[in-house]
Amino acid sequence: MKKSILILAALLLTPALAAFGQARPNGDKWKASVIDIEITGKSYDYIQPWSKSTRTLRKIGTVVGEREILTTALGLNDNILIRLQKGGRGRWFNGEVKWLDYHANLALISSDSDSFWEGLNPLELADKDFNAEGLKIARWRSGKMETRSAEFYEWRDRLSQQSFLSYMHLRANTEADGLGAAEPLVDGEKLVGIITGKGGDTLSAIPYTFIGPALKAVRAGESPKCGIFDFTWQPTRNPDTLEYLGLKGEPRGVTVIKVPEKKGRKSVLKVRDLILEVDGHKIDNEGEYEDPVYGHLTIENLTTANGRRAGDKVKIRILRKGKEMEVTYTMPAADYELDLVPDHIFDQEPEYLMKAGLLFQPLTEDFLRRWGSSWTTRAPFRLKYFRSKESTEKTPSLVVLTVVIPDPINLGYEAIRYQVVDKLNGKKIHTLKDLVAAFREPQDGFHIVELMKGSTAQRLVIDAERADDATQRVLARYGIPKDHYFKGEPTGGGLMRRPVGRRRGGD
Amino acid sequence: MPKRTLSLLLFWTLVFSGYSAEPEKSVVQITNYSQTPNWVQPWRFNRVGAGSGTGFLIEGRKIMTNAHVVSWGKEILVKRYQDPKPWRARVKYISHEADLAILEIEDERFFEGMEPLAIGDLPYVRSTVTTYGYPAGGQQISYTRGVVSRIEMHSYVHPGNRAFLTVQTDAAINPGNSGGPVIQDGLVVGVAFQGIPGLENAGFFIPPSVINHFLEDIEDGEYDGFPLAGVQIQPLQNPAYRRMLKAPNDSVGARIDTVLPKSGATKLLQEDDIILKVKDYEVGTDGTVIYRGNRLGVSVIFQEAQDGESVPMTVWRDGKELQVDVPMRVFHEDKRTGNQYDVLPRYFVHGGLVFTPLSLDYLRSARASSEELIYELNYRRREKPDSMREEPIVLASVLQHEVNANMGVRGQLLVNKINGVQIDKLEDVIKAFDEAKGDKHVIEFMGEGSFECLDREAATKAHEEILATYGISEDRRL
Repeated sequence: MKKSILILAALLLTPALAAFGQARPNGDKWKASVIDIEITGKSYDYIQPWSKSTRTLRKIGTVVGEREILTTALGLNDNILIRLQKGGRGRWFNGEVKWLDYHANLALISSDSDSFWEGLNPLELADKDFNAEGLKIARWRSGKMETRSAEFYEWRDRLSQQSFLSYMHLRANTEADGLGAAEPLVDGEKLVGIITGKGGDTLSAIPYTFIGPALKAVRAGESPKCGIFDFTWQPTRNPDTLEYLGLKGEPRGVTVIKVPEKKGRKSVLKVRDLILEVDGHKIDNEGEYEDPVYGHLTIENLTTANGRRAGDKVKIRILRKGKEMEVTYTMPAADYELDLVPDHIFDQEPEYLMKAGLLFQPLTEDFLRRWGSSWTTRAPFRLKYFRSKESTEKTPSLVVLTVVIPDPINLGYEAIRYQVVDKLNGKKIHTLKDLVAAFREPQDGFHIVELMKGSTAQRLVIDAERADDATQRVLARYGIPKDHYFKGEPTGGGLMRRPVGRRRGGD
Repeated sequence: MPKRTLSLLLFWTLVFSGYSAEPEKSVVQITNYSQTPNWVQPWRFNRVGAGSGTGFLIEGRKIMTNAHVVSWGKEILVKRYQDPKPWRARVKYISHEADLAILEIEDERFFEGMEPLAIGDLPYVRSTVTTYGYPAGGQQISYTRGVVSRIEMHSYVHPGNRAFLTVQTDAAINPGNSGGPVIQDGLVVGVAFQGIPGLENAGFFIPPSVINHFLEDIEDGEYDGFPLAGVQIQPLQNPAYRRMLKAPNDSVGARIDTVLPKSGATKLLQEDDIILKVKDYEVGTDGTVIYRGNRLGVSVIFQEAQDGESVPMTVWRDGKELQVDVPMRVFHEDKRTGNQYDVLPRYFVHGGLVFTPLSLDYLRSARASSEELIYELNYRRREKPDSMREEPIVLASVLQHEVNANMGVRGQLLVNKINGVQIDKLEDVIKAFDEAKGDKHVIEFMGEGSFECLDREAATKAHEEILATYGISEDRRL
């Protein structure tokens, strides 16, 4: 890693001097490119999934092309209104999302308003010759452009802000605080990256290396998806393990310990394969490879390096049962639903089904987050435990009986909550749609809900004939607008689905 | 046998109620010098600690106290009322479940001038009781008076995974009071034992039914424990559920939700049986009975039985009433989910790898927060009983040595297999290492499926050296 910094520093010495020569006061050159963004989005209450409210947050965008403002995807989900402000003051213009990718954590925002674009100038993306020591952070503060210095520190792969996807970020040291709102990190008039956060004295930014290929694809009209490696490997420092796997010569490689068990996805890798090379990069025992420019990075970075994306083929050289061989691995797309408990369900109201006061919801991390900022320790163990499990053919997803809304029909069940549903009327339940189907087939006039073994109670019985009346009664008495919401249905409740900006712009 | 004992005790009650004008003379101060093992490095012991509590003399030259007062005791000293001389005592019987213990003192002179206290009945709510004890380590006996606030089933902190009948009082019960008698009309109506931090004016004592159960249990010279019915009972209050089960009337009977495998109830009771009556106690729709004027969970009746005794029940199944005698059995299978005492942890060390059974004690000592370990300990038995192992084994720690220095694991992992052999108990670990043939030992862990190898020859060679370096006199405790 140190070596790569040295190389970079040597390369960049000349442009750095040049940049100094052109310097103008107060970051004039970025004034026409840095945009304040205000996003209002729907926020949901997973305790009462039918209830909606809104949240508003501010972040920063950078003009990177013709009617293109680049920012991170964070906070853009479920938006109903995006407003843009240039020059750090004055009029707000309506904006809209042109493209976004939650895994990549990138978004392009545009505006239909011609007057908004007047006087704005795109920043070009930087290239490898950027000035590592002369980086600046530019943002609007009380109508003035504030610029702060930053110094390149390292390239390192980091988890994307809202995804399990890991890719190479740029890290730089700075004294500036309050970073993470997608502030542009610039070198002269070039955009080096957009900032996702700061820990200690070091900021992390999504670098031009990652932004460039994404923009190129989007501009070409493609909708690229990030690819991932869906196998699990363990670092293999132990020479005894390497010997056991049949490796001769220098220690290298990491061992595959888990491959997905999904239907239609036959893994070309097998448990106990020793991964020696990925795409020609030699993998060391920590799972890292040496990039000639960026230094040590982990295998995961190869899923997105050089603009690679889902569906692309990756050559993986392995040692299997003592024999070296090469397999071609096709990268699946990063998808929250690969996990049994999806990290996020974006741009969709929370799904639920309420029947006779029994409230059923899919188990998602969004639901678990209702336990607040320390939800990973505070949420019920039997629910959060499933987070480490992957979605399999046998158990693709889980439905939870989250609460019993008191009504005469469910008398005696009031205390039952947060239990995973196993069966309804004898049918196995994985989704809310399964519930709907099973509710159509009561058993001798009863609905029999079976909860997962080990629950406080294993079974609930409710009167099937009176269930629908009870549902209506609960809706009316508790002010619940609708007995369900399923993915893809038009939303109720009066909030605009379409960005307001587009509607006004089209008038 | 139990019935006879009960009446005998009552008899003593009558005789002794006259004698106990000065119960404090029968109350003793206990100092326990204890030493707990280290569960992460199980051959080691923690520092000796000193704790103090209270005890009292009962019939048969027995000193009764709390189990937690004398747990892990190496040296137990007892002082009589107003007498500075310490007397050596030893634990004769101990019930960690019920937090009760009986000490004996060999020197007969100890008992001179001391009258045993008799056990009375469950006091009534609102009646007045007095606690006797040596709180906060003081030299003088302390008396506190209060009323019985309520009586209910409450979990016992000492075992951590059992609930028994408990009496709450507003008489101050502080550390050091533990094991002391709670007295009403000259009779012991409880043993002070726990409080709830932050809850003021609330001390708890163990009532006579639990004390007597313990005393009856040990009459044959052996402690068996408190049995369980082996069923989980849920309220049956929903009209539809009651109709589906054709329940006889609306105000009686709760539902059997789960029948534990390998329990006394396994073949006799079924899920969705309605339990109408236990002995002569009518079971309410919420699973409670009226027990001496208190509405309590029906398990209070089950707990009255001794190990192996049957309890008659009336249940409703398929529209018919059935009489069943359900044997109550002491359940040991969940002991690892509670605190364990006085039994040193089992372990085996090989090549610097320390293997020990998974237990609550281990998790707590190791400050392990691994979800895999917590699931295995607390949830697998109920959720996937078929895949439950007899004694899940953890790699507790790795004693650094060149043979294992390159391993990527440092402990806190559940062992799945060693050299292809599934590990169901500690003996399997030893066997798997002993019978290995390949060049490398392969240790596989649960969860994500990680594994590590250890050179067989090098591990064997380094064995003695590792034991010597870490001061381990025995490589195993079984």
